[in-house]
Amino acid sequence: MSDVNGVTPLLEMRGISKSFPGVRALDDVSLTVRAGEVHFLLGQNGAGKSTLMRVLCGAHQPEAGEIRLDGEAVRLHSPADARRLGVAVIFQEFSLVPYLDVAQNVFLGRETGRRCMHAEARRLLQTLGVDIDTTTLVHELGIAQQQVVEIAKALSQNARILVMDEPTAALSDHEIDRLFTRIRALKADGVAIIYISHRLQEIAAIADRVTVLRDGKNVANLENPVNLEHLVHLMVGRRVETTYRQRFCERPGGVMLDVRDLASDTGVASASLTVRAGEVVGLAGLVGAGRTELARAIFGADRVTSGSVTVNGRILAGQAGQAGWAGRGSPVAAVRAGMGLVPENRKTEGLALNRSVEDNIVLAGLRRLFPKGWYFARAAATVAHDIVARLRIATPSIARPARLLSGGNQQKVVIGKWFTAGSRFFIFDEPTRGIDVGAKAEIYGVIETLVSEGAAVLMISSELPEMVAVCDRAYVMRDKRIVGELGRAELSEANILRLAMHHE
Amino acid sequence: MKAVAYRLIAVALIGAALTLATDVFFTPANLLNVLRQASLTFLIASGLTLTILTAGLDLSVGANVGLSACLAATVMKSTDSIALGAVAGLGFGVLVGVLNGLMITLLKLPPFIATYGMLWTLNGVTYWFMGGETIHGFSPGFRQLGSGYWLGVPVPIYVMAVFLVAGGIVTRYTTFGHEVYAIGANREAARLSGVPVRARLNLVYMLSGAMAGLAAIVYLARLNSAEADIGEPLTLPAIAAVLIGGTSLFGGSGSLTGTLIGALTLTLVVNGMNLLAVDANWQPLVTGVIVILSVWIDVITRQRAEAKA
Amino acid sequence: MSSPPKGGHYRSTSVVSGFSRTVPGAAYLLAPLVVVFAIFGHGFATLPNLLNIGVQSSILLLLSLPMTLVIMTEGIDLSMGAVLSLCGVVMATLLTKEKGLAAGLLAALGVGTAFGVANGVLVVGLGLPPFVATLGTLGIAQGVALVLTGGQSVVGIGDTLPALYAREPLGVPFAIWSATAAFVVFRFALTRTRFVSYASAIGGNREALVLAGVPANLYHVAVYALGGFMAGAAALLLTGRISSGHPTAAIGMEFDAVAAVIVGGTSFERGKGSLGGTLVGVLTIGVLKNGLNLLDVSSSLQVASIGVLVVVALVIDSVLKR
Repeated sequence: MSDVNGVTPLLEMRGISKSFPGVRALDDVSLTVRAGEVHFLLGQNGAGKSTLMRVLCGAHQPEAGEIRLDGEAVRLHSPADARRLGVAVIFQEFSLVPYLDVAQNVFLGRETGRRCMHAEARRLLQTLGVDIDTTTLVHELGIAQQQVVEIAKALSQNARILVMDEPTAALSDHEIDRLFTRIRALKADGVAIIYISHRLQEIAAIADRVTVLRDGKNVANLENPVNLEHLVHLMVGRRVETTYRQRFCERPGGVMLDVRDLASDTGVASASLTVRAGEVVGLAGLVGAGRTELARAIFGADRVTSGSVTVNGRILAGQAGQAGWAGRGSPVAAVRAGMGLVPENRKTEGLALNRSVEDNIVLAGLRRLFPKGWYFARAAATVAHDIVARLRIATPSIARPARLLSGGNQQKVVIGKWFTAGSRFFIFDEPTRGIDVGAKAEIYGVIETLVSEGAAVLMISSELPEMVAVCDRAYVMRDKRIVGELGRAELSEANILRLAMHHE
Repeated sequence: MKAVAYRLIAVALIGAALTLATDVFFTPANLLNVLRQASLTFLIASGLTLTILTAGLDLSVGANVGLSACLAATVMKSTDSIALGAVAGLGFGVLVGVLNGLMITLLKLPPFIATYGMLWTLNGVTYWFMGGETIHGFSPGFRQLGSGYWLGVPVPIYVMAVFLVAGGIVTRYTTFGHEVYAIGANREAARLSGVPVRARLNLVYMLSGAMAGLAAIVYLARLNSAEADIGEPLTLPAIAAVLIGGTSLFGGSGSLTGTLIGALTLTLVVNGMNLLAVDANWQPLVTGVIVILSVWIDVITRQRAEAKA
Repeated sequence: MSSPPKGGHYRSTSVVSGFSRTVPGAAYLLAPLVVVFAIFGHGFATLPNLLNIGVQSSILLLLSLPMTLVIMTEGIDLSMGAVLSLCGVVMATLLTKEKGLAAGLLAALGVGTAFGVANGVLVVGLGLPPFVATLGTLGIAQGVALVLTGGQSVVGIGDTLPALYAREPLGVPFAIWSATAAFVVFRFALTRTRFVSYASAIGGNREALVLAGVPANLYHVAVYALGGFMAGAAALLLTGRISSGHPTAAIGMEFDAVAAVIVGGTSFERGKGSLGGTLVGVLTIGVLKNGLNLLDVSSSLQVASIGVLVVVALVIDSVLKR
């Protein structure tokens, strides 16, 4: 079976389908990769890239579809099978053992004599242009060097297909250049590289072809891609069916959140923004731009190292003006000042899955509802019922464990939690991710109601149409800094991308 | 509620079996004795329950009881004041709890290591402190606390009842109690919901120490003597009682009522073994098996719940 | 799952190279102790006393070596002391029945390994948290030992074992030879079979090991089995030393072993560990106990001081981590 050029592709994945309980992760997805090419795999979180790669490396079995290597159909029952056939995957969290040395890591599970392993490891590292002492423990190496060890590990298994998941996420510009040099060398040797990354600017540097996935389906397959904005639309583009906002904020109220030159221990540098009552302010940027880090720093979940966060005139963290150092910030202070955070990972950070809907809803508001410390079950139940009704949370009873609710309803419980706390300022981090269309509309409605009653919202979203349709204005981040602000009139997907991707 | 019901049924079954097996079991004297012993175990295990609810653990409770009791006894003998001795014992229990809490929240040591180190440290100090001696012979008034009866019921049972109710109130009817459960269920989510996690954990471990101190006084009154090794056999049954009672090691679920039932179950089993003239040396073995079974059930229950989602 | 480790300036001790690369951090605790006791303790720095430290530490080393591996897998084995006592009882019983030393040793090894495998199955197979699982087997081992002996010592084990124990080839006591042999086996033979590396991997990045096609579960259980086996081996020394078997003879030794391992630099996360460090840790505890003895500090306070030592070591560890 040969492709356009008459050459049999190295890898062909055709019609791959894979479901997990409740979600169809892959729906008839295909991917063709030629030897010696760098093939970009693009898609939002949840689009199916990871699942597809796990099928490729033998960790998951597809329900339908076939995989061909060099034209021959193969079955990959286990990671061992995949490895034997020359597929190597470098996950974003490396598969390295921190307290073993370089050689031991490269040859994990395939150890030979010590001298032999070290010599071979050294040789591999040198072909990759690096000279590391192979007796160094891996945890002592920098991230870039660890990555080289991972590549060496793949090469030592005669990998012909190398999958790299977000390889440049933690590298400096200089290290990225060297990585690309190595990749080009690998290409020359006929190795095919499947490159998963959100950094679209890298496409120009090294990509030969691009496959775009969205919601578990193929959306596009492009040769020599150049139009990056087109790609983003392909990844994200969902035609806006209904209008999200009835009316935008004409006259914002007083300043609710005032952030000045904020820096945090997670890398946020010198961020300044304001949010006024009645506004929905967006925080835009590509993955890795630092939006969640900034939100967490504002909320006090991460430590503030300099700058200041002021809510309703009250300094929560840092230092503003003549006042003294107000501390590094804490969620306790933030909540008491009226802030609420709806985190990106609602299951691990927003809810206690094994606790009931009622317990989750009431948690953030305990202090407000019961200031003396005595808990009255009936009052709590009334509040919970009230919120379940207001937000239309679909649950047969408030005693149901949160785990059993659908994604959309779980999200509503998290939002409801902040209602109980009496929050007036909300930070939403990817509020509609993983939620069905109906629930999405409801959440937009909630946001609208909130700001119409005088609350303020700071919203992070990777879905550009959503950002444009819901926000009054937006700040754009890149590389952990705020690089621009777009008012209502200028707020468009194109403008956001321009700032987010450093288009001159 | 279902879990409590099942456990009560188990208790009833054991009771029924023992009634059939021996005449001596179902007599008021014996039953009251069982309740008395279970109450003592409950007192030690009550504070421990709180720590386990937060997905932590206090392995030092037994040793804490031992040293606090010895300290209280020494003070009582030297100053001839029961009250002063009781205060000393209680205070020391609290101190141990505070130290545990600080190791866990400030030094960020894993709870089982911090309290394990504390256990052995307390053990060593107890032996050194007592120097191989025994203190005994306390006033009859004091001994009433441990061995006496009031209205036909052993006094420790009243103490147990007081703290069962108090503990129940704290866990169910205070915001503190709800925060404790939340921390155990998902510590990070609790933190991000504005719960002052470190402060609550410090309080929880302090309470565990306080209850150990309290139990030490009652225990002292019961034994009417104090020597270095009285705390040693206490830790395993306390942990067993909590686990049998359905409190999950992984945090976030369980209750003091459960701990009481667990203490009752364990005491019944031991009582049964004694009445049936089974060598007392079998007890650690049986306790060990029960602990393993209880945790196993806990693990399986969790896995089933997660699979359902 | 561990996140990608950041490069560190933490001086580390490699599992493979032990002493030869860098000095274990524990040495910085040991050296001042030696100096202090040499100055203030009468008779500390004499050959007989130093040999005595070696003898007293020998059983602890036999337990601490496998405990190092267990802790490297992010686990713990609280049952070692009870299992050792039980193995001692078993061995002594067979000796009193004149079944011969070989039979006694084999029986001890068998019983120990059985408990070790049980621990492994509970932790790996059933998924029980290690401290609870081994707390349970502690109770079981203890119970069995008490039932077998009725709480009494088993005496009259004959002369063979005590004589063996008393031998001093080249002037060095038998116990020290045994401990040294054990260390050599662990440090070199086990390293060669990748056992130690895999223990580090189980704690450091278990998924990496599984993805590499290694039967991680098997090695994980084996680590606990090894602990039980070594408890059985240590029974030889214990029974020889006290010329009897006693059901509670070794109670608490697991704590000393954990202390030795922690002081030696092994930590509870990410597979960090060093057998050489454990050796230093064992010696540190031995020196501490011996020195405090010479200074007339009671043995119970010694136990307390070890607890303090562990906390100090952990604090230093966590401070250095930042």
